[in-house]
Amino acid sequence: MNASSKRKTVQGITLCADPAREECFRVAQGDSEMQTFEDSMSEVARRERLHRHMNNETGALEIAAQCLADFPEAPWDLRMQLARQAFDESRHVRALYRRLRQLGGRKGEFPIGNFEWAVTNMCDTLAARLAIQNRTFEAGQMDLLGGLHKIWRSIGDETTAEILEHILVDEVNHVRFANQWIRKMVEEDRRLLLKVASAMRFLAETNAKLSGEPSTGAQGTSFEHHSKLGINVEDRRHADFSDAEINEILRQSGMGSLAATGAKG
Amino acid sequence: MGLIVREKAEYLATFRWMEVCLMEMLARWVPTTPEMEVKVLMGRHIWDAAQHADALGKRTFELRAPLHYTLAPLPAYVDKMNELASIEDTVSRVQVIYDLILPAFAARYQEYLQNSDSLLDEPSFRVIERILIDYARMRKEVEEVRRELGEALVGDSARTREWSQQERAISQIVAHGSGSTLARGVSA
Repeated sequence: MNASSKRKTVQGITLCADPAREECFRVAQGDSEMQTFEDSMSEVARRERLHRHMNNETGALEIAAQCLADFPEAPWDLRMQLARQAFDESRHVRALYRRLRQLGGRKGEFPIGNFEWAVTNMCDTLAARLAIQNRTFEAGQMDLLGGLHKIWRSIGDETTAEILEHILVDEVNHVRFANQWIRKMVEEDRRLLLKVASAMRFLAETNAKLSGEPSTGAQGTSFEHHSKLGINVEDRRHADFSDAEINEILRQSGMGSLAATGAKG
Repeated sequence: MGLIVREKAEYLATFRWMEVCLMEMLARWVPTTPEMEVKVLMGRHIWDAAQHADALGKRTFELRAPLHYTLAPLPAYVDKMNELASIEDTVSRVQVIYDLILPAFAARYQEYLQNSDSLLDEPSFRVIERILIDYARMRKEVEEVRRELGEALVGDSARTREWSQQERAISQIVAHGSGSTLARGVSA
C-alpha cells in the first residue's frame, strides 16, 4: 500500500496517515499538542523553532518524494523539478538538524506535527498537491522566512539567519515551478481547475476545524499566521505569482490598503 | 559485444529505466523509512538518479531514438527489481540500494563501456563516467550515515552477497527489438 493511501481520522476529519517517524518523536495531531513558549526567542524556544522547522522540511521532502512515486506519468521535466525539490528539502533538514545540535538540541526534544503531509496527500491529482504544498504551504513559508532571518540576526544568531536565507532562495524555486506547472496543466485540462479549487477548499476547511478558527477562504488561516511578518511580495514575484494574485493575498491577510496602492516588494 | 548504434540506444534506454526505477524506489521509501538520517540520504539521492536518467534520455535522442527513450529490461530483471522494492526494513533497504544496486548498476555500465568505442561513442562514455563518479560519492555518503547511526544500520552481509549473486545471474537484461521500435516519434 502506498504511503499516501493510508488514512487517519483527526477530530472527525479523514486525513492521510502520518509518514514514518522514529520512536523518539512525539507526533501531535493538532496545534494544541505542540509546545510553545512565552518568550518566543528564549534558548529553548529557539530550539523548538528549529526542531519544528526541521520536521516541516522533512514533510516537504516526503511530499515531493510521494508525488514522484504516485504520478509516474507526469511530464519528465516536472518530475525532474520534484526530484530536485527532494534534494533541496533534504539539505534543509540536514542544515537545521546540524544547527539544532549546535544549540544543544536533539531529535525528539519537542512534539512534531505532520499537517501538511496529512492534507496534501488527500489529493488525487498532482496539480492539486502542487497547489496545496508548493503554492500555499511553501509560499507561506516564503513569507515567514522573508522576515524570520532578520529576527534571528537581531538576537545575534548570524548562523541560523544564514541557514534561513539559503532555505528561502530554494523555496522560491519550488513555488515558481509549481505556479508554472499548475498553469500549464490547467491550460491543457480545464477540469483540473475544479480539482485544485476543491483541494484548496478542503485545506481551508480542515485548517479551520483543527485550529478552531473560522475558514476565511481558499488561502485562509495560513496567511493569518503569517500576517505578523507580512507578505513577502518581492519573493512572491520571483516565484511567478502575478500582481493580481499578490494583491488578493495582501487583501486576505488584512493588508488590503497596500494592495489598493499597488504593492511593491 | 560490438554494439551497433541501435543496440547502444537500447542499452542506454534500459539504463534509463534502471535509474528511473532507482529514483522511484527511493521516492517510495522516503516517507516509509523512520530514521531521519536515512530518509534524508535517500532524498538526496533521488536527485542523483533523476539526473542520471535525464542525461541518458538525452543521449538516446542523439542515437536516433526518441528523447528520454526508456526500455524496460527483460522480465527476470524487472521481477528482481520489484522483489527488492518490496523490502520494508531500513537496514535491508540501505543494503539493497548501496551494497547491491549501485555496485550492480556500476558493473552493467562498465560492461557497456568495455564493449563500446570510447571515441565514436564518447558522449555516452562521458554520461556514464559521471554516473560512476556519483555512485562513488553516494556510497561514501552512506558510509557516513552508517558511522553516525552505528549498530542501527548493521546488516547481514551474507544476504547482500546472495542478492548480488542473483542479480549477476541475470546476464542479459536488454530487450533488443526491431528497428521500428526505435523510430522517431515512438513515445518513450
